[in-house]
Amino acid sequence: MANFEELSKSVISGNLAKVKKVTQALIDEGVSPLDIINLGLIAGMGVVGARFKNGEMYVPEVLVAARSMRAGIELVQPLIASEDMPSAGKVLLGTVKGDLHDIGKNLVGMMLESRGYTVINAGIDVSSEKFVQFIKEHKPDILAMSALLTTTMLGMKDTIELMKEEGLKDQVKVIIGGAPISNDFADEVGADGFAPDAASAVDLCNRLLA
Amino acid sequence: MTTRTNFKAYSSTMMKVFSQDQCQELVLAAEEAMWRTGTDFYDKESLEILKKAGCWVDGKRVRIPAHITEQALKTCQKHVVLCNSRTGARELFVEGNNAYFGSGPCTPFTRNPFTNERHRATRQSVGWATKVLDALPNIDYAMSLGIVQDVPLLISDRHEFEQQILNTDKPIITVCVDAWGQADVIKMAELVAGGEEELRKNPFICLYAEPISPGIHCLEAAQKLVMGAKKGLPTIYTPCIMAGGTAPATMAGVMVQGLCESLSGLVLSQCAREGAPFIMGGVYTVLDMKTTIFSYGAPELHLLLAGLADVAHYLNIPMFGTAGCTDSCVIDEQAGIEAALSIAMTNMSGANLNHDTGYSEYGTTSNLDLVVIADEILGMARRLTKGIHVDQETLALEVIEKVGPGGNFADEDHTLEHIEENYAPRLVNRAARNIWEKAGSKTLTQVANEKVRDIINHHEPIPLPKDVAAKIREIVENAVGHVPGEDE
Ligand code: B12
Repeated sequence: MANFEELSKSVISGNLAKVKKVTQALIDEGVSPLDIINLGLIAGMGVVGARFKNGEMYVPEVLVAARSMRAGIELVQPLIASEDMPSAGKVLLGTVKGDLHDIGKNLVGMMLESRGYTVINAGIDVSSEKFVQFIKEHKPDILAMSALLTTTMLGMKDTIELMKEEGLKDQVKVIIGGAPISNDFADEVGADGFAPDAASAVDLCNRLLA
Repeated sequence: MTTRTNFKAYSSTMMKVFSQDQCQELVLAAEEAMWRTGTDFYDKESLEILKKAGCWVDGKRVRIPAHITEQALKTCQKHVVLCNSRTGARELFVEGNNAYFGSGPCTPFTRNPFTNERHRATRQSVGWATKVLDALPNIDYAMSLGIVQDVPLLISDRHEFEQQILNTDKPIITVCVDAWGQADVIKMAELVAGGEEELRKNPFICLYAEPISPGIHCLEAAQKLVMGAKKGLPTIYTPCIMAGGTAPATMAGVMVQGLCESLSGLVLSQCAREGAPFIMGGVYTVLDMKTTIFSYGAPELHLLLAGLADVAHYLNIPMFGTAGCTDSCVIDEQAGIEAALSIAMTNMSGANLNHDTGYSEYGTTSNLDLVVIADEILGMARRLTKGIHVDQETLALEVIEKVGPGGNFADEDHTLEHIEENYAPRLVNRAARNIWEKAGSKTLTQVANEKVRDIINHHEPIPLPKDVAAKIREIVENAVGHVPGEDE
């Protein structure tokens, strides 16, 4: 008989084929789809997250584990009504206008996804207007903006101001990050938080939505 | 008397990562990637230039036929000289196996040498940094060591250049925000040199642009590269790639990715103006898989750049390397280890123009104590590459005979005549413990910091003529900022 521990372990080792096999076996045995996700797939990613934080796992291992988790979720998803799908929260993520640095932002996105967040990646070079338009369209819980340049980080303030004008700031938390960003700067522009790397960005989101 | 014929001698230590055959293999692989995969150009004029030259243009994607790359490698100027800004004297021969060292640009933060506080870089901090670079004998040129942030940010590059040119006569590598900034800086440099032609004849500035890895030549970078080519000014084009992030995880894959981007830039520069002086750059390193930093202290950084130096020598084009930097957040043992390894290895590799001395905290915070320490490391590293000179005089048989068993070489003329070949440290401690204790039991970093303060308080750079300084001020004051990404 397939069990949750086996599923978690397969997620931790990033064994995609095995995750699919065990997930399918659990489905066939009639186990509750939500339990498969929460007690098997997400539980496995929880261990991965903790190990990454302790320096026991590396970025590619985390991403491979996350990929295997998603493969499992895809099998279960059709069995669950979409409003019942567990999600830690919805995050809209993008690099601000004029800035083309994106690897850091993408790592933040992957880490968030791996911890159960739904991430909408708005890409690079995103203007304030675009951010606001995306917010209206996707209704995220959190807006996460990345800037690696002192010249472009000003765009963060513009976006927050525009959100206020449009009455969106109260509904959406704003977090920011990137090399020239600091806690002081986050306070200055009225963001709800700053995190120095991808792992702490996840913690920050968890805190803000708790 | 001895006679020697058909004799091979080394005048320096030697180091190679790649053989000639391997260099060729890497370059051919890059040519393949430039053609098969291609790279993207975001600037309309660049796309037109490349299309006209025979490259295959499909939207932004440009595929460069190998013969065009090979032609560009032939036409670019191999002999590149950077000059003194006050006298025009030809100082740095950025070519062959010459290795020069200087600081890095644009750190958002810096550490104040008087208060030890980490804060955003300012006009003052860039001025101080330039003064320190000016005073140190082993530092060959200046980059800003900070992005000026106590001024309107979109014109910070003009303020940066003003602080640099006021505080040093050494060559300056200038990193501008965009093409408008670069145009203003060139204007200022022409004022200092005495005209456009004078600047081209004896350039004391070197321009700088970066592709966005993997494989994108953004608007600013492409425009700056084309402008540099048209002006005939040396231009560095430097991919900053990380294995496992913006390049393959394998070191050979990093080389191919970086070369593909650099050589695509070379093609653009040569198609914009045949013969334009082009400097192939590189910050090739790893994405640290635990912390996700772009590492400035990883051994792979030194290894990859020594490999790139081999390729640059093979291609006979000038190269821009990286050394004297650290991931450490303060100047401690880690900083010393990382700076020393990188400087020693880079110097041995013969990479031509090496930057980022003084970077700490993985390239986000400049630190002048580290610059002073690096100056000392450079003295040592250059002693290593000076090698051991072997001839009748240095074999010293005469003096060995004269002093004889049980004698003393210290008071011999031969000793006095040759003592200068050896490195005399200016910073590291070699004193006996008691003497060191009496002098305050200072660590290297403390001594370096005292030197930084002393330079800032007392060193006087050769001033710019007053009228030139005034005209430069005028350009800075009238500078107009452009929002990033804006065209035309
Ligand atoms: C690699 C790099 C590049 C690459 C980027 C490739 C790419 N595809 O992204 C290239 C070569 C293209 C590049 C270009 C430029 N760069 Co650059 N670049 C860097 C470098 C060395 C590393 C950045 C990086 O990717 N790090 C690794 C990633 C994984 O980390 P990260 O981006 O910091 O992201 C992590 C955290 O910051 C955080 N995070 C990031 N975003 C967010 C968002 C949120 C919401 C949260 C919570 C957290 C978070 O989590 C991430 C993962 O852990 C930095 C130096 C540095 N140490 O930061 C300079 C640096 C950022 N660049 C700099 C400069 C000057 C430039 C250029 C302007 C240079 C030029 N004049 O040509 C251009 C600008 C191009 C443009 N228009 O955007 C300066 C910035 C100075 C400034 N103005 O503030 C820096 C600091 C280097 C320096 N000291 O000079 N660069």
